Parts: sequence; C-alpha cells; structure tokens
Amino acid sequence: MENNGQMLVYSSSPHKKAPRTTRFIMINVCVALIPACIAGIIFFGYLAAIILALSLISAVISEFVYLLICGMNFKKICAQFDFTSCVTGLLVGLTIGVNYPLYAPVLGSMFAIIVVKMFFGGTGKNLVNPAIAGRIFIFISFQSVVTEWILPSGNPVTGATELTGMLESGNLSSLSLLDMFLGRNLAGCIGETCKLALIIGAVYLCAMRIIDIRFPLIYIAVTGLFTVALNGFNFAYFLPSILLGGLIIGAFFMATDYVTTPNTKAGNYIYFFLLGILTAGLRQATGMETVSFAILLMNLLIPLIDKIIINKPFGFTKTKKKSVKDN
Amino acid sequence: MSIRKGKNYPYGIHIPDMKYLCASSPIEVMPAPNKLFISLSQHIGAPAIPVVAPGDEVKKGQIIGKESGAISANIYSSVSGKVLSIEEIVNGVGQKQKYIVIENDFKNEEVLFPDMKDFEAQSIIDRIRLAGIVGLGGAGFPTAVKLSPKSPLEILVINGAECEPYLNCDNRLMLERTDDIFKGINYVAKALNVKRIIIGIEKNKPEALEAFSKYEGFEVVALKKQYPVGSEKHLIYCTTGRKVPVGKMPFDVGCCVQNIKTMIACYEAIELNKPLTEIVMTVSGLGINSPKNLKVAIGTPFEDIIKYCGGLKENTVKLVCGGPMMGKALANTVKFASKTDSGLIALSGEECSVAQPSNCINCARCANNCPMRLMPMYIESCALAGDFVGAEKYGAMNCIECGSCAYNCPAKRALVESIRFAKAKIKEAKQNGK
Repeated sequence: MENNGQMLVYSSSPHKKAPRTTRFIMINVCVALIPACIAGIIFFGYLAAIILALSLISAVISEFVYLLICGMNFKKICAQFDFTSCVTGLLVGLTIGVNYPLYAPVLGSMFAIIVVKMFFGGTGKNLVNPAIAGRIFIFISFQSVVTEWILPSGNPVTGATELTGMLESGNLSSLSLLDMFLGRNLAGCIGETCKLALIIGAVYLCAMRIIDIRFPLIYIAVTGLFTVALNGFNFAYFLPSILLGGLIIGAFFMATDYVTTPNTKAGNYIYFFLLGILTAGLRQATGMETVSFAILLMNLLIPLIDKIIINKPFGFTKTKKKSVKDN
Repeated sequence: MSIRKGKNYPYGIHIPDMKYLCASSPIEVMPAPNKLFISLSQHIGAPAIPVVAPGDEVKKGQIIGKESGAISANIYSSVSGKVLSIEEIVNGVGQKQKYIVIENDFKNEEVLFPDMKDFEAQSIIDRIRLAGIVGLGGAGFPTAVKLSPKSPLEILVINGAECEPYLNCDNRLMLERTDDIFKGINYVAKALNVKRIIIGIEKNKPEALEAFSKYEGFEVVALKKQYPVGSEKHLIYCTTGRKVPVGKMPFDVGCCVQNIKTMIACYEAIELNKPLTEIVMTVSGLGINSPKNLKVAIGTPFEDIIKYCGGLKENTVKLVCGGPMMGKALANTVKFASKTDSGLIALSGEECSVAQPSNCINCARCANNCPMRLMPMYIESCALAGDFVGAEKYGAMNCIECGSCAYNCPAKRALVESIRFAKAKIKEAKQNGK
C-alpha cells in the first residue's frame, strides 16, 4: 500500500526484533581483543604490531577476494561483511610468536579464511574454528624454521618453555605467579602471555552478554584440576597450568566461538568439560602446549553432541519419548 | 485477597514493552463510521451463514450471521442501518473472507436479548453461545465450546498478562471495568463449576493488580514481566505450577484459560443482554499520530480507525494487526475490525527491523530462549531443506509461534516463518496419510 508515497513492509511475525546483529557481536569481539593486542605490542615491540596488521589485513582481503572470484559484486560484499574475518585474522596474529617470518601470518590467515571458512560456506558454516586451524597450520608448517620462543626482552628461549618444562620435568617454574599473570619475562605468542589484558577483554565480552562466563570458567577449572590430578594431587600445579600457555586466550576467545560450540546448554557443559580433560591429558602426554589441538579435536565432536543432546519440549513426558524414538 | 507471586519460568525474553505510548489514556468510544464490513469468519471453525439479504434493514444487535456447526459463532450487526451487499474481499492480511456490508443510518436503534430466566450453568453457556462470544485474546475459539469440557475442571485461569508489547487494552479494561470483569468471571466460574479462580497479571501493571486484590473469592497472581507469559501453557504453569503435557490441551490438567475481554463480553451478554458487537483495541506505535485505546464497532474499516487517531506519520514502514510479536502484518489498510483484533500498531522504521537475513552463526540464542524448549535453528534448516520429518522431530508442532527465537536472532533469520511453513506441511502430510 502507498503511504505518502512509501511502501508498507509485509512480512511474517515477529515484527519487532532485537537490535543485536552478527556484525555488532563480531565488532565487540574485536574490541575485546584490543587490550591483548596492546599488551603484545608493549611486550614484543613493533614486530608484533606488524604481524597483527598483516594477519588482520590478509584475512579480510582473503574473504573479499574469494567472494569476488565467486562472482559477488563489491557493494554486496561490503553490505554483508560481518567482521568475522577480522576476529579470525586478529586471533591468528595473536597466537603466533614474533620470531616467525612475516609471510607466516599472511599464509595462516589465508588458510583460515579460504580453506577452513569459505570452502565450507562462509560465516557460520565452518566445522572447526578458522583461527585455531590457521594457528595449527602455521605451527606445523614452520616447525623446522622456528624452534624457539622469544622472551619479551628479545632473547630466544631454546628448548622447553615454562609450561612444557614444568610438564616434562615436573619442576615448578621459577617465575612468580604475578609474572605469569602479567606476562613479564614469559616467552610465548604475542597475545597469550599477558593474562590481565585477556581477562579485561573477557570481562568486556561478558558485560556485553556475548559469551556466557560459566563455560570458559568450567574449561579453565577442569584443565587446572585435571593437571593437578595427573601430577599426584599437587595443588601447586593448579595456577601455573592455567596461567602458562594459551589456556586463557583459548578458553575465552577461541573455544567460545558461537559457530563451534554446541547448541544447547547441556551440550555446552559436556563440551567444555571434555575440552578441559582433553587439554590437560594431551599436555601431560605430549609435553606440548595442546590447547589449540584440544579445541580442534573437540570442534569435530560437536555434530555428535548436537545430535545426541537436544532440548526437551516444555511439558515433555516419558511416554512421548518412546514415540519419538520409534520414529 | 492478597497478591501472590507467580512461579518463575526461566525461558522467555525481555522486550521493551512500549506501553507508555497509551498506558494512561482511557478507553475512548469511536463513533461508528458510515459503512461497516462485518466478516462472517471472525472465529476458528466454520464461517457463519448470512441470514440477511442486501436491502434488508437491520438494527444494532440483530443477528446477521448464524453459526454453522459445533465450532462456529453467531455474528451480529454492530449498527442500525441497511445491508448494502454481501461480498468476498481479500483483506490486507491476505485472507479471502465473506463480508456483510452495512450502511449506518445513525439512528442507533438497538435490539437486546430477553432477560435470562435463571442463572444455571447451562443457561449461561447457552447465552454465551447465542451472543457469539469467542476467545477475544486472538485465537477466536468459541467460548461456549470451551465452557463445556468433557471432564470436570478444577481451576479457571484468567489471562490478564498482556505480555505483548504496545498493547494496553486489557490493562485499561482491568482498571476501568474491574466490577464487570469480576461479575463476568463469576458467571463463567459458575458455568464451569470450578472452585478455584486465579487471575494472572504481569507485574508491570501494578494498578490492575491493586484493583483486583480488593475482591474476595479469587487468587491474584503477579507474574514476572517476561514474554510470553500470557501464552496459555506458560500462564497455567506460572499461576498453578501445572505443566500441560506435549500435545495436550489445558483441560487435560484441569484448567481453563479465559481472556479479560471475553469476561466482559460474557458479563454484557448475561446481565446487559447485549451480543458481542464492540471490541476494545489499542492503536499505538511510533508511526501513528495520536496513540489511543479505542472501543470500536465490529466491522469498522481500519482506514477510519487510523483517520480517527490522527493518521499515519511519514516514517511508518509497517502496519500490524494485533501485537507486534504475534500479530499479522497488513499489506494495505483493507482490514475491518473483527472480534479477535486487539491492536493496530503502526511501526516506524526505527522500531522494526527490515534487515536481510544472513547465515546462522549457531549462537543458540533461539534455543536458549525458546519458551517451549525447542530447537528453532534445526527446525528452520530442516524446513528449508524440505525435511519435514526432521522438523517434526525437533518439535515443530509444539511451536506456539511466539516469536522469541526470531526476536533474538542476530542473523535476523525468519525462524517463525520457516516453522509455520513446516507446520503447514506436516499437517498436510498427516491429512494425506489418513
């Protein structure tokens, strides 16, 4: 109908919708990663800034180029751009060290966006977290080139890092807990060393109601407790196992990715619990940092969890269950 | 009686209720227009059969459509005047219905029912049936059928929740006609022979709660402000703690839910001997110049109602018949007030999202908020893939179409639309199978 020359919209109910959009969520995740980026640049210098910029830009460009090749026009790509590739790009940059060659983050982002995300159908269709896959791609591909981690002072650490040293030899780290928390004198990836910055970002995400704080906390607690259990119930391992390595960034920013978490509350409890067990177990068995591998493996289990666990309708009764099964 | 707190139900959503637009404006009586279009199917079930012919003179309150079958309702003329024609019109919602067109002669001659001989249960039900009263909350199920259950009931639950945003008519009625509602409830309770009467009102209507707490004989329950607490099953749970099993009706747990407006219609039919010819509706939204609560004659064209409320603003992008969560969008203003209309909402661009849907990001907001505990994203993907067996497995048939899932969807997917499509297909398959 014409209303002062304007057409009325005719569509199905509900006619009111919440203002929150995918783009809003993803921009907020990027905002939540800013403290970690700043901390990384402070600790590791200008190289960190270059790596982050490279991974971010190459992720976004990969998405645009892929869609252009697919024949979508530029205006449409801009209109539907939802900032998920920014999150992926930033996370790829944050989870590698500064001693990687500068083409590593570019390759990692390209792999994450094109192979892991776009090949499967774009946002929301990927089976595993693109950032995790990108990180693992870089980690495995550059194993022979990069054998050491860099300390904030610029000196390389050969051999074992604080975490792997602790796990292999059983000796507790010489670093104080505060140093681990702030990331001082701690070798590692750009974004994973400063826990304070990550936790600021996580609190922001919780305040914006983007992530449910219960699940990452379950993951962290289970990992810590299982490490304690595997080391003869020595509770001195609890905090170092949480604060060393990439557990905090993995728990708050990678495991909580909407696309790669189960769709029910019950499924999420199981997922994060198993994730914790798997992380601690793999760490102990391999003597390596395995947060990203654990998340990758558990991502592949999600279709199974979602198949088994679905919400029961309101007013559900047991007799109904049989008839559902019969179908 | 004191006000009791309702049982907490954790699933549902919080919507800005926008009731401030006309929460404090009293119900205005809108004068009947020149021409009225009275639909013959304003209820669920078989359409009424016209008993007047073009050219006939009718009076206000005279029967013009007679019920056909058990689930049907009588239709009465809401003005005095002349029948111009009986025609089929496709209205703005997209329904093709038969309308009796009546020209108003403004003489306002009225005919009433004879006084009730007694107030026994059966005579009350007969009168309600005669007056053409249906569930005025939106479903339009004939009330008389609801009042003759197969097994005896225990509780009568009165729905004063009005959880839809914008709508205010029930709230205003509860404040202005508390006595009439109370009398209507008592008649219905007598017809049902129930001992307990519970009235559930959302906490955001403290005046209405206060007004009902003065009466003896029933429980007043203050419900948490949460959409969709006014849904039949959730209202029963929040007020009585009983859960209606999947696929069952409220009478299976000994409850009967009735709407506030239905109670007033029953009171008018029984004590004032008036058939159902007027409805109270909220005309609201940021797109209308002066939001109002109106009492309109059934059959009044929406165009006249909009004109009476100062017309539409230029920023109006959507007209909704009913509440914005469950109401139907209008493609044009060819719609005429019927028994079940409770609102006409003109939404401006800032109020309603017309964003294009994007890929589902599996955030599970739809499943976490679904008041029926379904998996809307799976039903949707099954429906779009044509797998209606899968859609049924994920609970499509239990959907109450409240819109909580689509409201919260960050990807703006048309979840309710897909679920409705799946439901229609499943029903079709079942009919063909039998």
